[in-house]
Formats: sequence, structure tokens, C-alpha cells
Amino acid sequence: MANGLTIRSSIEGLENTPGGLDALRDAYSKMQQISDNRGWLYWSGIHGFPQYMCWHHGRVGMGDAVPYNLFLPWHRAYLLYFEHTARDQNNAVALPWWDWTSPNSHQVGIPKSYSDAQAGGGNNPLAAGPMPAMPPDGPRSTTRNPDDPGNLPTPDDVNGLMSLGNFVDFTTQLEDLHDRIHGWVSGDMGVVATSAYDPIFWAHHCMIDRIWYLWQLQNGVNSIPADYLDKPLAPFALTVRDVLDVNRLGYDYAQTFVTVNA
Amino acid sequence: MAQNKNARSVAVKAAKQQPKDQPKKPAKIYVSSKIAIDPLKRRFHRADIVFEGVDHSGVSYEGRVFLNNESAGLKTPKNSKNGYAGSFHIFGHGGCFGDVGHCEVRGLPRTYDPRPAHALTPARKVVIATEALRQAVAKGKTITVTVVPIVRAGTSRSDYENVIKFDRISLVAYTG
Repeated sequence: MANGLTIRSSIEGLENTPGGLDALRDAYSKMQQISDNRGWLYWSGIHGFPQYMCWHHGRVGMGDAVPYNLFLPWHRAYLLYFEHTARDQNNAVALPWWDWTSPNSHQVGIPKSYSDAQAGGGNNPLAAGPMPAMPPDGPRSTTRNPDDPGNLPTPDDVNGLMSLGNFVDFTTQLEDLHDRIHGWVSGDMGVVATSAYDPIFWAHHCMIDRIWYLWQLQNGVNSIPADYLDKPLAPFALTVRDVLDVNRLGYDYAQTFVTVNA
Repeated sequence: MAQNKNARSVAVKAAKQQPKDQPKKPAKIYVSSKIAIDPLKRRFHRADIVFEGVDHSGVSYEGRVFLNNESAGLKTPKNSKNGYAGSFHIFGHGGCFGDVGHCEVRGLPRTYDPRPAHALTPARKVVIATEALRQAVAKGKTITVTVVPIVRAGTSRSDYENVIKFDRISLVAYTG
């Protein structure tokens, strides 16, 4: 934490820090054993099956003449609630982001900490998550079928998004990049119905949220159409206005500093 | 802005990239009829290929967009020589996981209905294709748009053949 804010770090940064992922593994492991509204099935089930509350693409609501797209604010709220739920199990948790543009990602694909089947002397809770019965299929664990790491986006792909000054334009292109990663991981991450049950989902969306955060640093936290501001982000007790500034939500993204002597 | 509402599709063999646990089925490629591009002849600083009414209820796929290359397929290199203009990506729902009626998109919200529209409301995808369109405009008066689907993920409930479904294509140029 810094200044009372939870600091989200990259997976790679945590992999290179002794015990960096211990809290996350502990929290996820506990959540995956809980069957009530503190548990993995409950929170993952909000996104796709069975609740389908996730917001993707533009949709028209009551009284709207033009579709609006709450993809970014909705997922920011979702991650916030999930992070607090995880912190109920281990107070040191901060959601990490998966930088799929990094040289390491382009070499190994899914980070090792999320792909090793075993961790900490047991099954790795970052490698797979439990899924409910989806009739006629019974309950099982998530699986992946990742593509070639060389096909992941590059820093230039993200830099191209930063040049877009209009929020709607930026959202459309960032959502497309987001869609690309879901397809790249494939397996259960590859479709809306099951993606949130995979632990890598949260790290992927943390990266998406971070890209929006970086765009906001450039364009201002309030750079969003005015008619979006009071839109509710169901089922969370938040509106779009509430989630614009990540610091007001109690978190920030780790920065890289280089200090030189004067 | 130029639009095409009448299109035909061409079936090709399945990609090697199809999920290994799913049966291989031929995924149909979309090829438009010729689109008049006279309205795009003015100088523009940006140009988009916009797909509207895109279905995202099924598989997840990359839609590779080629201009003036009606024979583009799964193995066509993504470069300007082949008319590659860019890709859009669909994060599909994987098929229907609910009871009868679950995936039927209900119409516009009724008066006083506060719920957002159905989750399967068709999407709008924008491919920023400024240079590709600039080159196409310089070469002729019409273009064709080919979309090659590369399926990335699906389930046993997915249709792997009729992957690309959308209402219309618009070519949008920004001048001034």
C-alpha cells in the first residue's frame, strides 16, 4: 500500500519478488473452496453463466437513442468488488495485471505463475478455477488452449490506442484488443459464458483497466461522454461517475521509477 | 460513406488454429459485392471499415479483412500486397447456455423498462484501415471486402461454420 492506496503490480514484478504472489494464491485458494457469495463460483458467475451481467459492446437502454458502451467502467467496478472480496480472505491481496505485450509474455505466453500446475506444495489456484454445472455438463475446472506467444499484441498495439483522443473511439479499439486476448488464451477464457472462472481473466482485465488508467493520465479522468456519467453499473452500487478516478476507489497502478543523484 | 448490404459467402476448409478439442468444420468466408467508393475520393486523414449488427453469440474469432482480394483465405499473409486492411476480434458467447428463449434478443426496451438491452444485442466493430483504403481508392472506383474468420475458441454448442454474421459494412472517411 502507498498513501493508503492499494498498489496493483504486474505479474512479472510479483514473480520476481519473493513471496510476491503468496497472498493472491492464498485468497484464490480459499475463494475456490467457498460455496456462498464470498466464493469463486458466485463472483465469476456474475460475468457470464449464469448471471450474464457483463457489459460488452454498445447497447441501448431505456430512453436512449444512441447505443452506449460501458465496457470499461463496468469491468472496473467488477474488478473492484472482486478485489475486495479476495481481500476478505487475505488482506494483502492486490490484483496483478498481465502485461501480454512484454518480452516475457512473448516468450512464454501465459505467465509461469499462472501455468504451473503446482504451487506452494499443492494445486496452483492461479492455473485453473472451478466451474459450476452447466447442463448437460457437470462441474469441472477451467482449461486453456493458448495460441503462439508471438501472436500476442505488442507495445505498439497499445501505443496506437493512446493516440485516440475520443473515449468512444478508444473504448471500441481497446475492447477489440481485449477480445483478441480472450481468443488467444482460448479454452474457457475464450468465450463469454465461462471466461471469468479462469484466474487469468482477472489479470487480463487488470491490464485492460490499467490501459484505460494510462489513457486517463493523458486525457483526463473525466474524458467520457457526459451522458455516460450517471449510468448504473449493475449489479454494483456504483455509477460510471463513481469509477472514473482509480485513486478515489482506493487503488493505483505501480509505477517504475529511476532515481539519479543530482 | 459507402455501404454494401448484399453479400455472398464462400466456404473454405477449417483453420489449423481451431480449438483442438472441437470437430473441424469449414468456416465460411465473407466476400462482399463490389462497393462503389467514389464518395471516398476526397482526401482523408483517417478511414474506417465499420461492421454493424455483428453477431457475437457463437465462437470467438479474428476477422481478417482484405480489400480487393476475393480469394483471400486462411493462409493469405497479412500484408498490404494481399490487401490486408486489419482485423477485428469477436469475443463470442460460445453458444446458448440457457433454457429455451435465453438467447433470443428482445427488442428495444419497453417504456419504463430500466434494464439494459439484451447481452446478445449485435455489436459494432471498427477496423481503422486508413492506409489500406487510401491505396484502394487510388486504384479504382470499386472495392470488395473479404473477411476471413480465424476461429479461436468455441464450445460444443457453437456453430463453427456460419461464423460471420453482420448486417452491413460501412466505409467511413474522416476529412478536414
